[in-house]
Amino acid sequence: MAEQDIALMSHLMRRAGFGASRDEIEAKVAQGYDKVVHELLNPETQEAIEEDLLIRYNPSYYEAAAIENNVQQWVWRMINSPRQLQEKVALFWHMIFCAGHSKIDSGQEMGLMVDIFRQDGMGRFDNLLLKLSTNPGMMYYLDNTESHKSNLNENYGRELLELFSLGVGMDEGFNYSEDDVKACAGAFTGWNIAPPYPPFPHGRSPWEFRFDPADHDNSEKTFLGETGKWNGDDIIEIVCKQPATARFVARHLYNYFVADEPQIPSWRLTPPRDQAAIEAMEKAYWESDHSIKAMLEVLFTSNFFKDEAVRYAKVKNPTEMVVSLLRMTGEYQGYKPGLFEYSQEPKYMGMDLMNPPTVEGWHTGREWIDSGTLVERINFASDILGNTELPGVRSLVNRLMGLGDKISPEQFVNGCLDLTGPVVLTSDTMGLMIAHASKEGDLSHGTDAEKDSFVRRSGEMFQMIAATAEFQFE
Amino acid sequence: MSTHLFGLTNRTYKYSHAVGRAEFAGTGFRNATDMAIAPDGTVYVCNRSYENRPDGVHVTAITLDEEYITEFGAYGEADGEFMWPTSVALDSKGNLYLADEWLNRISKFTKDGEFVSKWGTAGSGDGELNGPAGLAIDADDNMIVVDSGNNRIQKFALDGKYISQFGSKGSDDGQFNLPWGIALDGEGHIYIADWRNDRIQKFTADGQHEASIGSTGSGVGQLNRPNGVAVDADGDIYVADWMNNRVEVFAPTGRYITEFRGEAELSKWGRDKLASNPDMIRQRSLAYANNPGYEKNLCHPCSVKIDPQGRIAIIDHTRNRIQVYVKEAVPALV
Repeated sequence: MAEQDIALMSHLMRRAGFGASRDEIEAKVAQGYDKVVHELLNPETQEAIEEDLLIRYNPSYYEAAAIENNVQQWVWRMINSPRQLQEKVALFWHMIFCAGHSKIDSGQEMGLMVDIFRQDGMGRFDNLLLKLSTNPGMMYYLDNTESHKSNLNENYGRELLELFSLGVGMDEGFNYSEDDVKACAGAFTGWNIAPPYPPFPHGRSPWEFRFDPADHDNSEKTFLGETGKWNGDDIIEIVCKQPATARFVARHLYNYFVADEPQIPSWRLTPPRDQAAIEAMEKAYWESDHSIKAMLEVLFTSNFFKDEAVRYAKVKNPTEMVVSLLRMTGEYQGYKPGLFEYSQEPKYMGMDLMNPPTVEGWHTGREWIDSGTLVERINFASDILGNTELPGVRSLVNRLMGLGDKISPEQFVNGCLDLTGPVVLTSDTMGLMIAHASKEGDLSHGTDAEKDSFVRRSGEMFQMIAATAEFQFE
Repeated sequence: MSTHLFGLTNRTYKYSHAVGRAEFAGTGFRNATDMAIAPDGTVYVCNRSYENRPDGVHVTAITLDEEYITEFGAYGEADGEFMWPTSVALDSKGNLYLADEWLNRISKFTKDGEFVSKWGTAGSGDGELNGPAGLAIDADDNMIVVDSGNNRIQKFALDGKYISQFGSKGSDDGQFNLPWGIALDGEGHIYIADWRNDRIQKFTADGQHEASIGSTGSGVGQLNRPNGVAVDADGDIYVADWMNNRVEVFAPTGRYITEFRGEAELSKWGRDKLASNPDMIRQRSLAYANNPGYEKNLCHPCSVKIDPQGRIAIIDHTRNRIQVYVKEAVPALV
């Protein structure tokens, strides 16, 4: 199997999913790149999670009220779902359409919101925005429940335009005015929530969207140059036909799936890193009637995605760091206790899932890393990747043994790097790794003692790789 | 004037009351999976809770009149602890046995909750366990264990000595797909909630298949992952139809009689909880006006048992309470 095919498939699975074991990568290379992309883009072609088993062994996941249960369940899905892109897309939208448990105070609502991103995240953007705008958690988080015909609250109207669709501006111009914000907010008056049950004595009920016509401002409004008695769904339709929306979605997709872009607030003045790539995705948006899937298809099959220059050009976000390691090491497959601690790891690294810091979300790229989070990332990665008891790590060791009865320190280091990425190190770091491996000479595995030594040294080398700067990227 | 009973005579059921509320300790439950009811009316409820709230993992002893007695056990692997409790059963002396499907062991407690002993070895050999999910103890004090992951039923002495087994993986008569709950009738028949085959199977005491009830679906007499079963003194069969959010009632012949979807009113402990929180009373009253069914209905019923008075008690898993129905000898007005 050609090395470049392995490297490309690994790249695809890191970006369109949360990585994969070497066995899976090889199986997917045998399938062919385009077929794998097709499967990723069409989740229904892959097996679904067996929901009955998931709930049987984790009965508290059903209508789970506690936020920890919802985060845990999502992390389980990220690790175990055969529909990897679906979970990756859910995380993508969660990082854009930010709402958090700190205000919503209902784990179940956060779980239901993420489920919208899972189910509708690759469909028409109009539909996704409509689902978002009728999501009770979001309505509450951005105060639309406090926006009335008689007393407007502009929060949702503003964020829908600024952070969820158009963006402040592009090509140095502005995408909307304050009057547009007011018109937008007015159109969403009456979009509210039916009264839910309180937490006691039997648990909260799921919140339900409820339109209250008496509280809806039905007056004529001018929004982005169009005048009518606009309701919220009209606003979404107008928003989705703006060039700024296509640009906004394309830049976000590039930033998440291809390479780190400048932080979003600077997008009005800072052109895209790859203008042609953005234009190709915008074209797909228009030609497909606003389909996210069509944009993703252009992205994953493009040369700008396959280009070696964008591999390891993104800092792994904490969720990617944790979940990809759990997948690679074969830890937490199936049903067993112990996931709660793992599911909290992204939080320790600065990404409190289902609870972003503000509606603007997390700052990404190199801002994921500071002296505190770096220590967490390295400790977690080296602990788990160095645990040779784990099935996935054991499988990597067996593959290393398969390189020969006796392998040199250079072969050993190269083998470890290949199997954990393939990770490409700077020559300085590479030199240090080989120097370390050389201290104990060649590796053999003929006798039990040699095997034990081989396993121990493999675990140590995996730990060292996990501690490199290069391992922070994907 | 005629009445039209279509052969379903002599049975009327009536909702009685609800017991419990959502709590991690004391007067309530947290993700209860099963209960056992002693001849004196003590109800032992095993609470599974969840990983980040291990304080909710224990057995709560109460009565169906909503008296709190005690709680015992804790999350963990030490003696007297458990991690994924699935089922409880009582022997003739009133000792309680609890199955843990993660640790593959059975723990024994006195009726007051003192840990006595434990047994169980993971595996698939004779007497070994893979995810014990249901427990029942027969009139001779033999323990019958639903060995779910091994798709078989095993019989043991109470000290864990292996006696016999029946069943294998599959969907034919006498085969199982991840079975869960179990019940015995007065004649020693064994009823198994054959969870992933969406049916109840009835066996003789020595494991001969006698009948199957149910098929996959949500229609009359159909089942969606049944996980609990009980048989009353008349031989009527009650099935916790887990993912259909109901309990179905079948005549001894297997004919569908009726179903309970839940009619819960606030329990005593539920009222107590609300009484200290006026804001929640307000919120609940608005919610109740909007959607009364939500609070009344069963949500993932998980176990059904008959108490010494013949009352039908249902673990309403997700709502963290028990709903109690009565079977009236005299036709009841509902």
